[in-house]
Amino acid sequence: MRYRAKTLLALFALLSLLAAACGGESLESGGDTAAEETADAGATEAAEGTEGGDEGGAASLEGAEIVVGSKDFDEQLILGNISKIALENAGATVVDQINLGGTDAARAALLNGDIDTYWEYNGTAWISFMENDDPIADPVEQYEAVRDAELENEQVHWLAPAQFNNTYGLAYLTSAADELGNPETLSDLADIIAENPELATLCVESEFPARNDGLPGLEALYGYEFPDENVTVLDTGVVYTATADRDPCNFGEVFTTDGRVAALELTVLEDDQSFFPLYNPSPVFTDEVFQQYGPALEELFAPISEALTQDVMTQLNARVSADGERPEEVAQDFLETNGLLDG
Amino acid sequence: MAVDTTGTVDQGGLADTSAVTPPRRTTEGFGPLRRALRYIAMPLFLLVVVVGLYLWVTGQELGQVEQRQLNAPFITSKVVEHIRASTLSTILVILVAVPLGILATRPSLRRLAPLIIGFGNFGQAIPSLGLLTLIFLFARTVDWLPTTGIVPVVLALTAYSALPILRNTMVGLQQVDPSLLLAGRGMGLSNTDVLRKIEMPLAVPVILAGVRTALIINVGTATLVFLYGGGGLGELIFQGFQLRRTTILMTGAVLTAALALLVDYLAGLVEELLTPKGL
Repeated sequence: MRYRAKTLLALFALLSLLAAACGGESLESGGDTAAEETADAGATEAAEGTEGGDEGGAASLEGAEIVVGSKDFDEQLILGNISKIALENAGATVVDQINLGGTDAARAALLNGDIDTYWEYNGTAWISFMENDDPIADPVEQYEAVRDAELENEQVHWLAPAQFNNTYGLAYLTSAADELGNPETLSDLADIIAENPELATLCVESEFPARNDGLPGLEALYGYEFPDENVTVLDTGVVYTATADRDPCNFGEVFTTDGRVAALELTVLEDDQSFFPLYNPSPVFTDEVFQQYGPALEELFAPISEALTQDVMTQLNARVSADGERPEEVAQDFLETNGLLDG
Repeated sequence: MAVDTTGTVDQGGLADTSAVTPPRRTTEGFGPLRRALRYIAMPLFLLVVVVGLYLWVTGQELGQVEQRQLNAPFITSKVVEHIRASTLSTILVILVAVPLGILATRPSLRRLAPLIIGFGNFGQAIPSLGLLTLIFLFARTVDWLPTTGIVPVVLALTAYSALPILRNTMVGLQQVDPSLLLAGRGMGLSNTDVLRKIEMPLAVPVILAGVRTALIINVGTATLVFLYGGGGLGELIFQGFQLRRTTILMTGAVLTAALALLVDYLAGLVEELLTPKGL
């Protein structure tokens, strides 16, 4: 009996707690709407405020608190640090969440609001996030399609894209050129496959044979097929090493701006029929931050994206991947040499 | 309540425990059915899971990417690669770890036991991905070992799963009653005969339990071997993850889990067959 009485008591206490919690919640949610309204009003005021500031001539991010994230490879660490240093220079307080993990981690963090910005590639958004099968060939149209869809679907803002395009490429060890018949373009691979199929060995990462903008599409457009037994699936990093060792393959799937291409003395075959999609990255911002500081952010990042050309990005990457410099230093140096910290 | 009413409730209670207690207690005619059910339950369950997966996948609207990966020839080749990597490594690890375990328990070599166990601990202590990478880096420095493909990944899986077999072999041999060994010697058996006729048969159930564990570890870890050219179902899991195609990811993951359960079930059957009668 005593046990039962205790149990009942406990049950009652639990129920009343639950009831209290529910009541509290409904009260709070009532409070939320009110808070949202005021926040919205505040946002409009702030936006007007920055517009006023623009008339004065300076893109000020004074008082802004922005969480900067990035994915986990060298190029992303450099881009993340460029954002961080540029934002701090413009007066914002930056919380460093650089090096979050893979694409999924960075994307989820942005959509949850854990970070306010990171650099994303329009090709990744188009093919992975929106699950489109085929890319758009024109760079401007591809960017605009991604920007518009992302604003509508996820309320995130894509600023103007950087000049460079970190897309796929097939590469081989430069010193093996003679033996492979000096191929220069992806079209040249047709001869190798037809005449010396044993030389046409290819290392790829696991997603490359699956995607339309990967091996299947490439083979369809260029009109040749690597023999099945010649294609080896490997870890992304191992592909570079395996291509440089020529073991087990003469050709490897690489990223065109990767520092290891230069460091391991690989030559990237020219995509003479413009098959590979465009992967121009943009700084992507959450709605919350963009509503408040949009014009200032656009003004800040436009010259940065302009200065990030293919050659510049490849060199920055090589300094980190091959020479072992720290991404922070490389980012700082890039901004200084291009006079992007002056305003 | 349960005490008062006889019949159904009581029988239910009995039936629940009969899996543990000897089958003598159950009514005749009930035993064979129950035994048959025990053998057939797991295959049935796996069949339901795999058919369920098939229906779920075919019920989805599959894009070109999914169609390219989720077809019979591709999936079959990945399953075959997965089974190849996990069984080859299990065979190899039995060939290496059981003799090592026997050596470690011989009185003359007992001093080597910590060293041998250390080898097993070493293999298991390194993360599986790290072990694959170490072997890749090592293979780059020598000529006789290919850097990628089935050979280096089987070596890595072998090193990774050595500990359970090694340890169970040692424990299995050590738990044999010493008086039995003395009795054997007293009957004039040589040391080898004592090992062969007394120690090993008595240790087999424990060793097989270790083999079963190693097999499961290998099926699970084999999802990583595609990173070094070993193929397998891990490829599907990673493709699904990287391309955000849940259907591909789920197919790889569910098939791996089903394969692990199937292998465990088959190993259980073998264990029952090989365990000497009367143990």
